[in-house]
Amino acid sequence: MNEFLASNLRDQRLQALAIALALVLTTFTVGTVSLTRDGVKVLAVVDITGSMNVRDYKHADGSPASRLDTTKAALRDLVSRLPCGSRLALGIFTERRPFLLFTPIEVCHDFSPVDGALDALDWRMAWEGDSRISAGLFRSIEMAESLGTDLIFISDGQEAPPLPSTGAAGFEGKPGAVRGLIVGVGGYALSQIPKFDDRGRETGFYGETDVQQENRFGPPPADAESREGYNPRNAPFGSVAAKGNEHLSSVREAYLKSLAGAAGLTYAHLDGPGGLLHPLMSAATPRPLPGSLDLRPFLGSAALALLIAVFAAPPLLGLTRRGAPFR
Amino acid sequence: MALLSRLGASLPLVLLLLPLALLPLLVSSQRRISLSALDAAPADGLSRTIDWVLKIAGVLAIAALIVALSGPYRSGETVTRIGVGAQVSMLIDRSGSMNETFAGKQPSGAEESKAAASRRLLGDFVGSRAHDQFAVTAFSTSPMLVVPMTDRHDAVRAAIAAIDRPGLDYTNVARGLGMALSQFGAEAVQVSRAVLLVSDGAAVIDPKVQEILRAEFSKIHPNLYWLFLRTKGSPSIHDKPAGEDTPQAAPERHLDLFFKSLGTPYRVFEAEGPEQVAEAIRQIESLERDPIPYTEQRPRGDLTPSAYALATLGLLVLVAGKLLEADPRRASRRSSPTTAVPSDEQRLAA
Repeated sequence: MNEFLASNLRDQRLQALAIALALVLTTFTVGTVSLTRDGVKVLAVVDITGSMNVRDYKHADGSPASRLDTTKAALRDLVSRLPCGSRLALGIFTERRPFLLFTPIEVCHDFSPVDGALDALDWRMAWEGDSRISAGLFRSIEMAESLGTDLIFISDGQEAPPLPSTGAAGFEGKPGAVRGLIVGVGGYALSQIPKFDDRGRETGFYGETDVQQENRFGPPPADAESREGYNPRNAPFGSVAAKGNEHLSSVREAYLKSLAGAAGLTYAHLDGPGGLLHPLMSAATPRPLPGSLDLRPFLGSAALALLIAVFAAPPLLGLTRRGAPFR
Repeated sequence: MALLSRLGASLPLVLLLLPLALLPLLVSSQRRISLSALDAAPADGLSRTIDWVLKIAGVLAIAALIVALSGPYRSGETVTRIGVGAQVSMLIDRSGSMNETFAGKQPSGAEESKAAASRRLLGDFVGSRAHDQFAVTAFSTSPMLVVPMTDRHDAVRAAIAAIDRPGLDYTNVARGLGMALSQFGAEAVQVSRAVLLVSDGAAVIDPKVQEILRAEFSKIHPNLYWLFLRTKGSPSIHDKPAGEDTPQAAPERHLDLFFKSLGTPYRVFEAEGPEQVAEAIRQIESLERDPIPYTEQRPRGDLTPSAYALATLGLLVLVAGKLLEADPRRASRRSSPTTAVPSDEQRLAA
């Protein structure tokens, strides 16, 4: 009898079945192992100025989508993909400073209010028409620092009014003290900016004379002397109205990249209503979150593989060893 | 059927492997032995039974493992219960003057700004009753939807925690009121609804806008509370201006008159310090004591252990079958073939 059992115990298929059984039994004792995962705690600041209404993205059905709508969709997508335990604070930006809507909220348990708040972002929340990106960015960095978060600053980079010839004010903080991402929104080709009346109805597009084409504060640019009607005292910027493309908009990538470089942030371009997770996770400070890894799928699939091998191996072996199919 | 409809799998694609479970019906897990003729073995009922038991065990083990890997669950239930609470739409002034103290100065030392006091006291108000629902709208020049109506009190507190950040310019109360009313949504009229306006000033409401707001208020019919954070020395709601009594001269008084004319239950609390704010919030809390239906989410049940238990059962039978399996070739070598009485297992092998 013992010999009979011993010979059976040497059978490879019995051994495979026994291992599979052991693996399945292990699932009852070793369910999950706890480990730490990397989450993020981030302040998202969304530019809601007029140029964000430019429709140079496309909805899934091919109809035009505004930059702001695409940004909202991308943020909602991001929130749904962030590891549980990550936190998001939200601010909006117009004029020259960010306005904090809420301090960090956990993105899984409190997903629906966060999602609802992102969905409700609207250009009508803006309190002034100016769009001084550099000032807004630097203050957003301060805000993120005070909240103890990283930053995603989402903007098309179009300063309104345009920057003076001397360029933007420099970043006075410590580069890299706040980590994060500047997301450039908008297409690379110039598009028209929709215009709205004071009741919020769209009335057309901005024309060349509707917006300030040149910033004439501060010293005149170096080429001013060659301009028509230049007079050092009476017409230091020349006598002709400035011409330009400030009434059209495209993503000012070079400008945003230079801001990102000065502030120690990473730059990424928003290509559509998603894809922010990867750039954010690589730019943000990893924050360890308690998590757990379910080991059962690994044990279970190993057991399944063994079990299937037990049934499938003999006929397959039989095929290869034609001479002795029944071994 | 009701139970079936609540079953689900987190990785349903894994279930596409289920046809693999038919494998044991085609191939036996037992040894295959070449016999000169099948007729040489007698038909045996017990052997056939054991054969079928092993086949079923194989099907069961494979199928249960595949189901276990697909992450089976029984979906959670949403239970509606009745609690005590209200839907409160908070409308919070974020104009720059909210960052001053009640004395109208920049806060210094231990002094608390109006915004900081409301942040602290409103934060305590949120979450003091489990079934209240809150929405937060901020307003200054324009209204801003901060958090939609929700019972997630952590999120509401996070929104309230932002109100003592530097504010913006103006106090445009009309558009703020419109947005605060829109936060209630369309359904569930039997719920007690309240608009809580927290501001330190008022503004003139355009007569046209007044009509729109009046229509909205009569449709939704919320209780309206105005927590007026009065700065020392500024006019009270009840003070008549010395000169002409126009909305421009005394916007607070005229906003109060407008609210009184709405025909909805309305109370104004004039607070000149944090203690009075706390007292006003206590009163509002005691006034809003109506039943409110709330939903409770029962967590979904993980059925993976049950699936593994079934797999264990199948595997146990298979292992037992292999353990007790006969090897006629070996048996014929070890013992005399004439005396060997074929055991069940030996017959099974046939």
